[in-house]
Amino acid sequence: MKLSEIKDTYRKLFVVEKSPEEKNKPKDLKKDLKDFWYGKPHEERNLGKLYVDGTGLYKHREWRGVKDTMYYFNMIWLYNYAHMVTDIMKYGGEGPKSLVDFAKGTFRYRWMGQTYLSVMHWFDRGLEGMRGDALAASAWHYRGMVSETIRQFMCMFASDKKLHGGKTPERWNKNIAHNETVSGNIFYPFRKELEDVALEMIPYFVSVHVNNHTVLNYIDAAQSIGLPADPCPMCQAEYGLFVLDDYPDYAPTMVTSNEACDGSVATSVLQDWFLNRPLYAMPQPMRYDDPLVQEHCQKEIEGCWKFIEEQYGVKFDWDEYVKWAKSFNKLTEFEWEKWDVAANTKYYPINGVAQALYRIYYSQDGDRPIWHEMDEHVKRIMNKTVKNKIETFPKTRHRAIAWSCAPLYYSNWCTWAYNCWGINCVINMDSLMFDQYLRTDTYEHALEDLSCFNEKAPMRAMAVGGHEHILSLFDYMERFNCDMVIMYDQLQCKGMQGIHGVFEDEFRKRNIHAIWVPHALPDKRTVSRKEIRRIINDYMTTVMRETPLDPSLLDFDDDQSW
Amino acid sequence: MKDLVHIFEFEDLLQEAANPLVKKGRDEGLKALGYTCYFMPEVLLDLPGCFSVRLRAPRSTSPEMATYYMTNRTCMYGRCLLERALEGGYNFLDAQMATETCTVTCRFQEHLQLMDVIHNPDFFCEFTDVPFKKNSNSITHYEQQLKVHVLDKLHEKFGIDTSDEALIKAIEQHNEVCRLIQEIGSYRKLKNPTITGWEFSIIMLTTLTCPKHLIIDKLRDIAEQLKTREPDVKKNYRVKVLLTGSEEDDPDFIKLIEECGALVVADRHCYGSLPGREEIVVKEGETPLRAIARHYLETSMCPRFMEQHIMRERKQYLADLAKEYDVDGIIISQMKFCEYWSYERTIDTLIIPRDFGIPVCSIEKEYVNNAVGQLRTRFQAFVESIELKNLRKEGA
Repeated sequence: MKLSEIKDTYRKLFVVEKSPEEKNKPKDLKKDLKDFWYGKPHEERNLGKLYVDGTGLYKHREWRGVKDTMYYFNMIWLYNYAHMVTDIMKYGGEGPKSLVDFAKGTFRYRWMGQTYLSVMHWFDRGLEGMRGDALAASAWHYRGMVSETIRQFMCMFASDKKLHGGKTPERWNKNIAHNETVSGNIFYPFRKELEDVALEMIPYFVSVHVNNHTVLNYIDAAQSIGLPADPCPMCQAEYGLFVLDDYPDYAPTMVTSNEACDGSVATSVLQDWFLNRPLYAMPQPMRYDDPLVQEHCQKEIEGCWKFIEEQYGVKFDWDEYVKWAKSFNKLTEFEWEKWDVAANTKYYPINGVAQALYRIYYSQDGDRPIWHEMDEHVKRIMNKTVKNKIETFPKTRHRAIAWSCAPLYYSNWCTWAYNCWGINCVINMDSLMFDQYLRTDTYEHALEDLSCFNEKAPMRAMAVGGHEHILSLFDYMERFNCDMVIMYDQLQCKGMQGIHGVFEDEFRKRNIHAIWVPHALPDKRTVSRKEIRRIINDYMTTVMRETPLDPSLLDFDDDQSW
Repeated sequence: MKDLVHIFEFEDLLQEAANPLVKKGRDEGLKALGYTCYFMPEVLLDLPGCFSVRLRAPRSTSPEMATYYMTNRTCMYGRCLLERALEGGYNFLDAQMATETCTVTCRFQEHLQLMDVIHNPDFFCEFTDVPFKKNSNSITHYEQQLKVHVLDKLHEKFGIDTSDEALIKAIEQHNEVCRLIQEIGSYRKLKNPTITGWEFSIIMLTTLTCPKHLIIDKLRDIAEQLKTREPDVKKNYRVKVLLTGSEEDDPDFIKLIEECGALVVADRHCYGSLPGREEIVVKEGETPLRAIARHYLETSMCPRFMEQHIMRERKQYLADLAKEYDVDGIIISQMKFCEYWSYERTIDTLIIPRDFGIPVCSIEKEYVNNAVGQLRTRFQAFVESIELKNLRKEGA
């Protein structure tokens, strides 16, 4: 390679080119020092220029000012990398020896091998442009998710027959596998003796967010054996894990659910053929507002408990349930506090992507110590921003609510939308599910609440059981003081497609600015990230007649990015 | 074969949802109750004072208005129903007894609630929750739902008698239709069947879409004629097949298959008779409503059922039907965008040949039968492949 080529490559990969205007600008030492100390003002950041063309990777990290850059380096980068090693040892159960299981899992499973080292880039994407309290609070949410992810996959790996030469590890008999859409709350009565781990949560759901290429392989595998391309790609991907034999064999039984849709039911059916082991199907009623359906739902939950008792020889432990449910209620209380701040103030310190992912993760997963630890950190920050009236997203031009299910391969679109256009995604649909307490005073109350809780799971809470649920958007819009809707248009979601025109009519009737964002949940090939940005850009320029805050973010190619 | 009595009259009736017999039923003062799914027991909608109409949208073309409301990425059956409703084709309905059993038909029915589509001031649309399992908890739940959302509503809105006596009467009438359909359908089991799949589908669909008391005599005539009906001297089909899959209410689709040389002798799809036309048995000590709830859950072979053993029984059921009707192969047909059947079709296509050794032709189609050329090629190839296999067997 010639020296000039090396130089060119170096420039391409590491040097942020300045525009002629920037180059010709007279030197202003005072401003330079200020920018160094505090970071550049929003409009001058040119975040889009930091990317290596075509990759979405950074030439170098953003300089956020001394304090925030140091915070990012120490409390986000170093802190999380260190914990990504120590957590493996902590949750693997065998100290440093657990690293062996981790290494085996990394080599055995595509979803693991392709995602672990790109975790920090996931942080970078979600936290781009964030400053001060918004940066810190959002990052704690990310930290919680990473830690819980490690706990789950280490539990899988330590118990996995496939990683132990077909032998049955001791922990195998102590695990319950379940669909990711079965709430962890169901298993509280057995948590003293058993571990409940969702089967698809890490291999599919988390992995898409971290590295959006990984899942494509599973979708293709599902279609390779004859499944049409039009069913929900989430279900296809979950099924593809089985077609490729890329799921850990870590539990003797499986609990399935009909959440969230027809595709989920059908996926459970297909998975069953592959798993071929004792299975308990625990469906939730569709018309969940009907008081008459509750008893049926409660009996199904009790049926699930009986199934666990019979399969594992353990006893239902009421005290254990109460302990975990009470603890979970504290998470719910804090969530309500957060909603209150988000709805009524400018001081909410969590960005759209952290809010959405953390909420869906912890509420689906159920109570775990890590969530409380994270909430403590966030509470401290939020109390400070509210008390001191710190505007956490000062460039907000529009307060948006995101409705329907989000593009998993571009969950950080809201970070981009704020940086580029000042669209602050205050709340999203799936954050608003599970909106209730779990009473623990009597068994009957507990069961009653647990059934209602499970009926209001992600996607399902708004998407089924009557059109009034999905049309509650307009009430929430008012409650959260939003002036714009980001209407996710999941092209393969039959429930949402089936009510598309009614939304169009309502938006027109109510004179609401709504941007339809088409996507295919985990499959970036249908509508790329770039295309999503183009759609938002077009709306903002042609309909809203606005100019971008950071024009460098208007158009860039990150198709090859994780 | 000689033409089957009433068959052309029945064929004409199927050209409109609001057919002359439906109009006659309404003129008699009966309430017309629409439904879309097997999980809404038609026997309850056929109580004295009302009659059931399973909704179809015959002669549909492109559902433009419905596509605005439901996009072109949803099942065309649901969209065609909405289009027909928007066109005024269901204005004869007094009520829609709805179920949330698959997403798109649910959305269609929600549109009936949301929009002022049915021009009938008394029209209402009521949803029933249908369980996903067949255990006793589910039967109890289903029974309760049917009581509150169907019987009580019919009584409250239209003054329909929903007493046990009335239910018993409705079951008797229903069972008579079932017996006749079973009898008519049994001729499909003959070595050389004396009824074609097309004829049977017309008869079956007529029973689903017309007031039963207005067609029962005609069904008796057909059953009588079949007792002596002689098959053609020269066999006019090459293989016998079972048709399974999602919603199918178009006799012309059956005709298309038969034109390719495959006689359809068994119908295991949403508008078929297997299951669908089994008699309801009221066991000792059981209320009629309980018997109905149990019957519909136990007999249904819908891919919506999630229990492990039920999933497996569905495959066995297909294999048993194939044996009983002595078929050479199975055609699995799925309505495009039907989530349940896209998965069920995939797994059936893998399992049925592997575990039961039955050849399978797996297709995806639209509600409006506009891909006739491609489908014809598929069916012809399937027929030829079965014939080749049979030749090879004979050679061996």
